[in-house]
Amino acid sequence: MTRRPVEVGDPERLYTVTGGRSRADGDAFDLVTLIVAESDPAPWMQSEHVRILRLCRTPSAVVEISADLGMPVTVVRILLGDLLATGRITARHPQQGAGAGVPLPDSALLEEVLHGLRRL
Amino acid sequence: MPVPATPPQRRSHAPRPVSAAAQAALVAAAAAAGAAAVAAAPGAAGPWAAATVCAAWLCLAAAVVAGAGAVNRARRAAAASEAELRTLRARAARAAAESAQLADTALPALAARLRDGEPAARVLASLPPPQDPRLHRLLRLLAQELEDAARRTRQAADDGGRAVRQLALAADGVDRLTAVTLPAAVARLRDGSSADTVLGRLELPPDGRLRVLAEATVRELALGERRAAAAREAGARALSRVQAAVVSMLADLREMQDRHGEEVFGDLLRLDHSTSQLGLLTDRLALLMGGRASRAWNRPLPLESVLRGAAGRIAAYRRVRLHSSGTACVAGFAAEGVMHLLAELMDNAANFSPPVDEVHVYVEERTAGLVVTIEDSGLKMADAAMRRAEEAVSGRSDDLARLQGTRLGLTVVGRIASRYGLSVSFRPSSRGGTGVVVLFPPQVLSRPGGAGTGEPAPGTDVLTPEPSAPTAAGSGSGSAPARPAERAPLPAGATAAPGAGTSRAVPGPPPPAADRRVATPGGLPVRPPGRTMAAADRGRHDPGQSPPRAREAGDAGARFGAFAEGLARARPPGSPEGEARAGRGSADGAHRPQPRTADPGNTAPDPGAARAVPEPRTPGHPPAGAS
Repeated sequence: MTRRPVEVGDPERLYTVTGGRSRADGDAFDLVTLIVAESDPAPWMQSEHVRILRLCRTPSAVVEISADLGMPVTVVRILLGDLLATGRITARHPQQGAGAGVPLPDSALLEEVLHGLRRL
Repeated sequence: MPVPATPPQRRSHAPRPVSAAAQAALVAAAAAAGAAAVAAAPGAAGPWAAATVCAAWLCLAAAVVAGAGAVNRARRAAAASEAELRTLRARAARAAAESAQLADTALPALAARLRDGEPAARVLASLPPPQDPRLHRLLRLLAQELEDAARRTRQAADDGGRAVRQLALAADGVDRLTAVTLPAAVARLRDGSSADTVLGRLELPPDGRLRVLAEATVRELALGERRAAAAREAGARALSRVQAAVVSMLADLREMQDRHGEEVFGDLLRLDHSTSQLGLLTDRLALLMGGRASRAWNRPLPLESVLRGAAGRIAAYRRVRLHSSGTACVAGFAAEGVMHLLAELMDNAANFSPPVDEVHVYVEERTAGLVVTIEDSGLKMADAAMRRAEEAVSGRSDDLARLQGTRLGLTVVGRIASRYGLSVSFRPSSRGGTGVVVLFPPQVLSRPGGAGTGEPAPGTDVLTPEPSAPTAAGSGSGSAPARPAERAPLPAGATAAPGAGTSRAVPGPPPPAADRRVATPGGLPVRPPGRTMAAADRGRHDPGQSPPRAREAGDAGARFGAFAEGLARARPPGSPEGEARAGRGSADGAHRPQPRTADPGNTAPDPGAARAVPEPRTPGHPPAGAS
C-alpha cells in the first residue's frame, strides 16, 4: 500500500472559494490597486473575506493580499469584487492616491531597490 | 357308538326278573295243569293221559330251560357292551379335557414363553406332553413356528432400533454441522485464518461422509474468501496508485493556478473540479475495497474548509449552500474521513433533487457535539428507501456482496461513520425533500485555540484510522494527533515542501518556554507525558503563542517581499519579465519566508504555512514524497 503523504495544502479547491467563478466581474482591480476595509468582518462571512477585511485595515495592494492569502490574484479579484459590491471595501489606484502630476518611479528602479534591499 | 347302544340296554334291564319268575310260574302252572288233566282223565285214559301230560310238560320244561339259557347269554353280552361303552366314554372325556387344557393353558403359556425368548425345546420339556401323539406333534410344530416368528420379530425390532439410532445420529451431525461448525468456520475464515488452521481447530463431525462434506465446504469457502480478499487487495492497490495520481494532479493544478494568468484560470478550475470528482470516486472505491483515503491531515481543519472541501468534490457544488459561522475545527485524524462522508451525503442530496434546487448545509453547535444538516428539496424518500438508506449508513452491512450497484456512497458513509463514531440519520426535510443529520461527537472536533469543548477524549487513540498504517519517518504521521511521541521528531524536510524548513528556521521572537515544551524547533509536536498527541498538537498551533505579525512590527521588507511575490504570481509565465521574477523568486527562496511570518492567518511554525509560498512546491511533490 502506498504511503499517504501528510497533506499540507488546503482541503478546499479554489473554485469552491469563488463559487465557480473564474473571472472577476469588472476591471476594478489591477495588481497594485490599494484596498481599504470599510467595515469589520461579520461572523457569517466567508473566511477569505474575513481575512481580507482584517488585512485591509491598513491599505494593502491586491498583490499583497494575494500573497497573504496564498491565492492567485484572479481569485483575490473575485473576492474583492464581492466585497466591493457590498460596500465593505474601497479601492483606489495608487496614482490617484499619489496625486496628479507626480510620476511613479518606474518598475526597473523599484526592482533595483528590491535587489538592494535583499542584499542587505 | 354309545348313542344307539343305549335303548337295547334299557330294554334288557327291566324284563330280567319278570322273565325268571315267569319261567318258574309257567313250569309250575304247566305241572299243575298236567296233574289236573291226569286226575280228570278217565281211568282208561289215565295212563295215556298221564304219559301225554308228562311228555308235554317235559317239552315245556325243556323249552323253558332253553329259553332261560338264551336269555342269560343275551344278558352277558349286554353287560360286556355296557362296560366297553363306559371305557370309551371315559376316554372321550379325557381327550376333551386334554385338548381344553392344551387350548386354554398350555398354548398361551407356550406362546408367552417363546415370545420371551425361551428356546422351544426347553419350553416343550417343561410342559406336560399331551397323550395324543397328534396333539403332541401339533404342539411341537406350533412351538417351532412360534419360536421362529419370535426370533424374526426380535431381529426386526433390533434392526429398526439400530436404524432409528443411526438416523438420529446423522440428523444430529447435520444439525451440528449447519448450526455450529460451518458458521464458526465461516467466521474464522472471515477473520483471515487459512483453511488448514480452521479445519484443525474445528470440531469436525464424526461421520465420515459429513466430515468429507465439511472439509470440502471449508476449503471451498476459504478459497472464496481468499479470492475475494485478493481481489479487494488488488483493487485497493490499483486504486491507491490512482489516488496518488489524483492527489499529485490536484497539487499540480493548484500550482498551475498560481502560476498562470486569468486567461487559462477558468479551464484550470474546470480541470481541478473534474479531478476532484475523480478523487471522490477513487476514494469511494478504495474505502469500499478496504483501502484508505487518498489524503491525510495532521492538523485540525476549520469546519468551513472541511465543508467546502467536501462540496468541491461533487459535480453540483454550485448548488450547495453552506451556512456555517462557527469556529469549530475537525481533528486532523478524522478530517479526511469527515470530508468524504459529507461529500457523499451532499452528492446524494444533489443527485436526488431537481437540478435547479439548492442543497442547504447547516451547522449547529451543541453540547453533544456538532450537528451538520444537509437538506435537499427533492422528492421525499419513500419509507422503504429511507429504511434502506438508514441501513446502509449504519455501517452494519459490511458485505460487498450485498451492495446495490449505485448505492456505494452510502455504504462508504456507513463505514466512515462507524469508524469515527458519527451518527447519520435521515428525516423528511421541511423543505420538502430529505434531510440528513450528521452528529459529530466531541472527540473528532477540536478548537483552533485548543481551548475547551473540543478536547479529544482519552479514548481518541481507538478512533485513529488504520492503526496499522505505516508511520515511517519519511511520511510524517498521517494522523499525528494519536501517534506516540517518539514518532514526532522527524526530519523536517521530509514532511514539508523544500524551503519550508528554512521558513520555520526563522521564527520571529524565540518562543516562550511553554512553547518549547510543545513543539520541537522544527515545528513538530512534542507530547508531554499524560497528554494526547492531539492536545500537544493543538498547543503547538495555539495562535496566542505564535510570533507577532511582522507587519505590526513595521517590517517594511516583509511587505515588499509579499508585493514582489504577488507580482511574480500574477505575471504570466510567458512574459520574460515574469519568468525572470519567478526564477529569481525561487532562487531567493531563503529570503522569502519573511512574508510568511507576517501571515496573520497561519501560525508560523505550522508546516502548513508553506502553502503561502507556492514556488517551493516542486511539481508533483506530494506523490513523490509519498510512494
